[in-house]
Amino acid sequence: MLSIKNLHASVEGEEILKGINLEIKAGEVHAIMGPNGSGKSTLSQVLAGNETFEVTQGEISLNGENLLDLETEERAREGIFLAFQYPVEIPGVSNLQFLRTAVNAMRTHRGEPEMNAAEFMKLAKEVSKQVDLDPAFLKRGVNEGFSGGEKKRNEILQALLLQPKLAILDETDSGLDIDALQVVSKGVNALRAEDRAILMVTHYQRLLNHIVPDHVHVLAGGRIVKSGGRELALELEERGYGWLGVKDEEATPSAAS
Amino acid sequence: MKPAPTISSAFLEPGGHSLPEPLLELRKQRGTALVDMPLPTRKTENWKYSSRHLKLTDELATTLPATGKDGYSLSIPGYRVVFHNGVMIPEASDFPDLDGIRIQRFADLDDDEAAALAERLDNTLDTRAVQMARLNSARFEDGLYIQLDKEAVLDQPLFIVHEVTGTASGSAYPRIYVDAARHSQITVVEEYLSSGEEPVMVDTVTEFVLADGAQVTNVRLVMEGENVQHIGATGVRQAANSRFESHCVGFGGPLRRHDLQVRLEGEGGECKLNGVVVTQGKQHYDNHTSIEHVAAHCDSEETYRNIAADESHAVFNGRIHIHEDAQKSNANMNNKNLLLSTGAEIDTKPELEIYADDVKCAHGATIGQLDRISLFYLVSRGIGRREANTLLTMAFINELVEQIPVQAVKDAAQLRLNEFFDQTFQEA
Ligand SMILES: Nc1ncnc2c1ncn2[C@@H]1O[C@H](COP(=O)(O)OP(=O)(O)OP(=O)(O)O)[C@@H](O)[C@H]1O
Ligand SMILES: [Mg+2]
Repeated sequence: MLSIKNLHASVEGEEILKGINLEIKAGEVHAIMGPNGSGKSTLSQVLAGNETFEVTQGEISLNGENLLDLETEERAREGIFLAFQYPVEIPGVSNLQFLRTAVNAMRTHRGEPEMNAAEFMKLAKEVSKQVDLDPAFLKRGVNEGFSGGEKKRNEILQALLLQPKLAILDETDSGLDIDALQVVSKGVNALRAEDRAILMVTHYQRLLNHIVPDHVHVLAGGRIVKSGGRELALELEERGYGWLGVKDEEATPSAAS
Repeated sequence: MKPAPTISSAFLEPGGHSLPEPLLELRKQRGTALVDMPLPTRKTENWKYSSRHLKLTDELATTLPATGKDGYSLSIPGYRVVFHNGVMIPEASDFPDLDGIRIQRFADLDDDEAAALAERLDNTLDTRAVQMARLNSARFEDGLYIQLDKEAVLDQPLFIVHEVTGTASGSAYPRIYVDAARHSQITVVEEYLSSGEEPVMVDTVTEFVLADGAQVTNVRLVMEGENVQHIGATGVRQAANSRFESHCVGFGGPLRRHDLQVRLEGEGGECKLNGVVVTQGKQHYDNHTSIEHVAAHCDSEETYRNIAADESHAVFNGRIHIHEDAQKSNANMNNKNLLLSTGAEIDTKPELEIYADDVKCAHGATIGQLDRISLFYLVSRGIGRREANTLLTMAFINELVEQIPVQAVKDAAQLRLNEFFDQTFQEA
């Protein structure tokens, strides 16, 4: 489904990604772990098409189509979804209006009729329940004044509404309390499907107890330095990143959510 | 030194519309006082950004003929008064006879009423600061005099539609005077529209006098075409415990100028001034507001937003003057500005003059662009660029649009806003 070959990306002239290779097949769940500042969010943002980052080398293709030729909105319509590590607050745009506009943009792209306000309200309320977010949050500004955990649940809410082909979850588990982690994991597991792939960035092995990955990768210094199965996460939890030749002190989970 | 340009004598010839004698007399007096009136120049502080857009050619001096052909088709929910080229058109107007409320055109006033009105015209305005309102006083051809008796309440908004037709060059001078007695209530909507393409000028003056406890809401929608220079002044005087609300929504043109002057003269008075301005192309829009806290214990709240696209230019100048005796004044002024292109320009200036010591006065002004991270977040959900930009721009003014208390105005403004978004934002 997703194929990344020798991907280099830089910001303000500084190279952050230094040759990433990654193959993700439909139905798979991949986890990416790695020290703070190693480039995990950069990779996620580059996949979503954030122009702050310049791709200087390499290829990304989604089901054979060159992703780098597509604008961010076109990538989204082709099925790329990024749950942001830091979801953006947009006061003045209601969450409901935002969600409906997004869903209808996708529907229009697929040649389906738009949903009217009433239809969408019904759907949005159902999905809100699924992520345990009070429907009152639909009326607020996008992420406006949401707590860290509420923002993360709002990201999963969007993923569930938009039904992407590839969901990239950038630390969606950070800053969640134990119950919220359950809720979010349930949401992510609900996304799992044969025709869908999930790429999760996480610092915690505990998430992987709930969402069992098929593959685990370690990203350090802009490269994938190790890949393995589920057991790699456990090993990292025990041994840190030092044995991989990666600076260990940076490997502690970030306090920021 | 070159002498400052003065107003052309062509402008001092009013048209021939019939008015009661006392008003004709007043107009003549005001006209005499205007002889050799210096025109605003770059050096005139309150016109420094706008004087070069003020083009008073002799062709503009002609009084536009009032034929009443336009303005009929508008479907308006509520009471309606139509002015065409500055003269009221009774056949196009529609409002009931109501107890305690008199809505009369100047031309219909008897001599006593006209004399009483002549005494009062201009008494809400600092005419030194609104030069062009003085021209209106010398040139008005007709007007609307609205009187509310004490406790009278107009049950629906009164729409005053000002339409000008530029089939030939000329100018129009609409005039409104509202006298709201104790505890009376009214909502007055002014809608400025135009048709035709020849250059025209609208020089309009609206005055409100609020007695104790009166509540007046004024909604002003400025949507004339690219051929129209619009210069407007609104003067407000408020007695104790009265409340005045103003909602201005304006779209740009070659020149748009509005002076809004509010005097809080009795304790417990409150005013709320909201404004939204949208400019594009090479348009120019200039808002000058002035709030005088003359009496103690008054509240003023002012919120203006400018959005400038392309190479357009918007100006906001907000003056708050708290007089020595105006203790416990509460004044809040906020102006936020959004530049949608690098060629656009916005100038904002708060002017605070505070002579009382026990007051709360806050002001803030910002100029910014659409947030790139917010835009990325929206498009990363499949939302198109045009729509994403539109959402973010609406977010900037939503709060003010929502507060407009007349749905028909909201709808009309939204339609025009949508046109603006379509013209301004492109898909990637
Ligand atoms: N917009 C930017 N401008 C400058 N530097 C940036 C920018 N974005 C990221 N970087 C730098 O790129 C490097 C990788 O950052 P990135 O956010 O991808 O790390 P990460 O692996 O997601 O870390 P964390 O685990 O803390 O979230 C860091 O050194 C960061 O400072
Ligand atoms: Mg990160």
